[in-house]
Amino acid sequence: MNATFMHTFIRPLAILYPMAKRWLHRFHGGVFPQTYKSLSLKHPIKSTPIPERLILPVKQLSGQKVAWHVAVGDTVQKNQCLVRAAKENKKGIIVPIHAPTSGVIHAIEMRPLPHPSGLNALSIIIKPDFKDSALNNALNVNGEVPETPQQLKDILLNAGIVGLGGAGFPTFAKLPNQTGIINTLIMNGAECEPFITCDDVLMQTHAQDILKGAVMIAQILGIPSIICGIEENKPAAIQAMNAAAKRLTKKTSQINITIQTLPAVYPMGGEKQLIQELTGIEIPAKTHAIDSGLLVFNVATFAAIFKAITLGEPLTQRLVTVAGLGLKHSYNTYALLGTPFLTLANAGQPTHSIQDPLIMGGPMMGFQVADNHVPVIKTTNCILVQPPKPATEIMVMPCIRCGECMDACPVNLLPQQMFWHSQAHEFDKVEKLNIFDCIECGCCSYVCPSHIPLVQFYRHAKSEIKHNHAEQQAAELAKQRHEFRLARIEREKQEREARIKAKKAAVKKQAQKPSDASSAKSAAMKAAAARAAAKRATQQESKQEIEQSAQADEISQNSPPPLSARQKAIDTAKKQAAAKVGSKVAPNKDPRTSAKQAAKKAAAMAAAKRRAQTSLKNDSNVTAPKTEAKTDSNANPTQTTEHSKQTMNDKRTQAMEAAKKRAAERKAQQESP
Amino acid sequence: MSPLTPQSSPLSSPFAHNNQSVRQLMFKVQLAVIPALLVHIYLFGFGIVIQWVLAFATLLVVEFTMLKLRNRPVRPFITDMSAMITATVLVFCIPAGAPWWIIVSGTAFALIFGKHIYGGLGYNPFNPAMLGYAFLLLSFPVQMTQWTAPTEILDYAVSFTNSLHLIFTGNLPQAALGANLDMISAATPLSQLQIGLTQGQGVTESLTPIALEAQTHYQNGSVINGFFYSTAQFFSLNSWAWVNVAFLIGGLWLLAVRAIRWQYPVGFLSSLSLISFIFYTIDPNTYPPVDFMLLSGGTMLAAFFIITDPVTSSTTPKGRFIFACGIGILVYVIRTWGIFPDGITFAVLLMNIAVPLIDQYTQPRVYGHK
Ligand code: SF4
Ligand code: SF4
Repeated sequence: MNATFMHTFIRPLAILYPMAKRWLHRFHGGVFPQTYKSLSLKHPIKSTPIPERLILPVKQLSGQKVAWHVAVGDTVQKNQCLVRAAKENKKGIIVPIHAPTSGVIHAIEMRPLPHPSGLNALSIIIKPDFKDSALNNALNVNGEVPETPQQLKDILLNAGIVGLGGAGFPTFAKLPNQTGIINTLIMNGAECEPFITCDDVLMQTHAQDILKGAVMIAQILGIPSIICGIEENKPAAIQAMNAAAKRLTKKTSQINITIQTLPAVYPMGGEKQLIQELTGIEIPAKTHAIDSGLLVFNVATFAAIFKAITLGEPLTQRLVTVAGLGLKHSYNTYALLGTPFLTLANAGQPTHSIQDPLIMGGPMMGFQVADNHVPVIKTTNCILVQPPKPATEIMVMPCIRCGECMDACPVNLLPQQMFWHSQAHEFDKVEKLNIFDCIECGCCSYVCPSHIPLVQFYRHAKSEIKHNHAEQQAAELAKQRHEFRLARIEREKQEREARIKAKKAAVKKQAQKPSDASSAKSAAMKAAAARAAAKRATQQESKQEIEQSAQADEISQNSPPPLSARQKAIDTAKKQAAAKVGSKVAPNKDPRTSAKQAAKKAAAMAAAKRRAQTSLKNDSNVTAPKTEAKTDSNANPTQTTEHSKQTMNDKRTQAMEAAKKRAAERKAQQESP
Repeated sequence: MSPLTPQSSPLSSPFAHNNQSVRQLMFKVQLAVIPALLVHIYLFGFGIVIQWVLAFATLLVVEFTMLKLRNRPVRPFITDMSAMITATVLVFCIPAGAPWWIIVSGTAFALIFGKHIYGGLGYNPFNPAMLGYAFLLLSFPVQMTQWTAPTEILDYAVSFTNSLHLIFTGNLPQAALGANLDMISAATPLSQLQIGLTQGQGVTESLTPIALEAQTHYQNGSVINGFFYSTAQFFSLNSWAWVNVAFLIGGLWLLAVRAIRWQYPVGFLSSLSLISFIFYTIDPNTYPPVDFMLLSGGTMLAAFFIITDPVTSSTTPKGRFIFACGIGILVYVIRTWGIFPDGITFAVLLMNIAVPLIDQYTQPRVYGHK
């Protein structure tokens, strides 16, 4: 095969030029940190005693309610459900929590979370009774493979299974609802982080379970092929998985299982990196693997799925690597969820008394916990115990633009440029450099000869950008609401005016017609008044046109129905003054508004204007005749008798003509000034 | 230095590092110069050592003063060795017998105006060594072109004490073979070529004196015996070419240890070869051959030690290549049609200006973006 051909040439070359190893994998960059995996592989899985207290944080997202199944003082059995998302939550992102052992609910209180933020969370504290009496088949399964995806999802939700590899996203929510969407199921056994060996050990000991879990999912979702990627530095795991796969393929011949050996490079275990390596597919930006027909789970997740489906056992413990250069005895153990970190760390015979914060996860992507008593949670794959830092730390130097970071970045970003702009607080430029594609793998910081904590800068920049966007969005929303209101006020006013004008024009027309001598005088007077009023109204209208285009930020409250044209003119003048002030203030108000938003705003304004104009037109065509007809019949009874012979039809035609004439007149008047 | 840690605690990942540092990087570059230094001493005498010591002393004084003035920690920055590279490059650029104040003023200028003025390491837009060299070339054109002749032409090696005397007094001691300054200086092949061409001679005629002279000496057996004698004859390389070869060797090592990136030498040398090949093919009598272009002047020094300065070059992979190609072409243009015999300085400075532009238009494709 081509790949092996490449390997035979590149391996020897790597002796001369170590970075030639980068040519062995398909994604860009990558680094080769010392793995230290043998530290914890030397020893068999250690059994650790049940701790004095178990702490089970209840992850609460804002606005999501939970339903408590227990209260303080209750006695619980192992695997008993303690709390789950309340029924009314549509997006049940919270998965249920089960008791890892039997005991008494000691308290429900705030405890620190194992999270970079160091936040506290409401936690259930269990005081174990050390009997470990368990509920069998707590999930009430029949041991059969579920028929439909929905049944599968229900089981996974009830079992409280989340992705055990890293982010801890609920597994049921990742699954599609229909069969046939996924064409490849990928098992992530890369485990590229230094020190961590829990997946390796799990594959060595539970290869059968893992693969069975995968095959069940493949059967339910109609997935034709399963690929398992394992880094080449785990020969025992590869062997075990291969053997298990061979046995399984005999039974389930319709599903194609491949165990693939991967070059050992960090971050091979990154979802997108693994997919690219195994399938050559590059997940397009802003889409998920599932959009490309791929489903990726960690091997440990498959083992948990298997247990849930066949034994009805919820997720209450996991394999954890407790390792580090600060331990004499690094080991792997099945830790009950809720076991405090320090308990596990102390079981590894630390070389010093543990004062420094422990690290959850590996050295590349892990984080220091705020409190060493934080509990093991579902995503805790490793507790890293490093010796105390030497007092003289290597000084951070300025960026020398060497580009090592760029060559190491698996996403092919420009870390140095993102750094310069983050440092200069030019967050818009950082965003343009696609910072949100950064997976925070730490390769760039790892190779930076200037020892710049690059990832720290990116985290900071990301949060700043998010914050700015939230602010911008709020401002935009307020602005839209305001503009909508302005447009509505404007429209209402114009409608009113049109009505009044139509009325006046009608009066005028009537006056111009030959009439009785007795009413001639009063008609003439009325006509004069109407003309004057109409003229003033037109003037005012042209003023309003100006006002409309100006961006009034402040406007006097819904103006009362205009009584006289003069009153209206005064009002308009006031409003214009206000508008002027407003438009002066407006540009300074939101300097962040980008050109795009300005364009959007302009479009919205234009639309509002158009709406107003159409309504105006409709008014002159529809409302006017009606008003006129009314005027005809009610306002001038003398004339009505004169024209009594005319049919209603004639009247309407007349009224329409009058309206047309009026419109023409108005147009002419508009054009003249 | 700027406060480099954003206000977010606790310290975040990664907690591992490959233990590379700026100092190590610069040290590797420094090591890679050694072959060229040895060859230079062997072929041109001890002048360069004295120049180098002078440059180093200047460097220490200037760096210390500037860091103190700029209120920066002295120790980490003086030991980052970046100034050493600047000084070393400058030493190789000036004539080995140039008066002492040349290298002193050049180094001081390069460090102060090439680096510290802009905010120190990492912030300078121009290659400091090239800025210093340009300053010297424009200010002291005479001294800067009095090149010490190689021993193969001189017939004897300028001794250490004689070099010392020359550099500090501007003259050779009378006792020393009664030689005067003119006798030990010679035009470099590049300037020879330029002079020849301006006088209407063809390339071959302009270059024959050097080749002939060397040839004669070899035949007389008066030149230092041994390895260089025979190999030089074999490759028919002149002394300047030998220094270039030594730089090439050091440079290849730098490539292997990833102290420099391949885009620079490959881009620079290939563009220079290509353009000289094209013109040489068009008119071999007016334009020098490719191998001459590659092995004369500071070509290899530039390819591996000057244009590779990461601070002042483009940072994207494609950008680096374009940057290097640009320099290659400019060097040829200046060498062939410009008034300076070697165009590297100005070619580098010109391309330094173009760096932000290149960077902007050569952004690599990010994963998942078409
Ligand atoms: S690795 Fe460090 S010094 Fe080099 S370019 Fe990146 S940020 Fe700058
Ligand atoms: S942390 Fe981000 S920028 Fe750095 S190498 Fe990883 S993906 Fe690239």
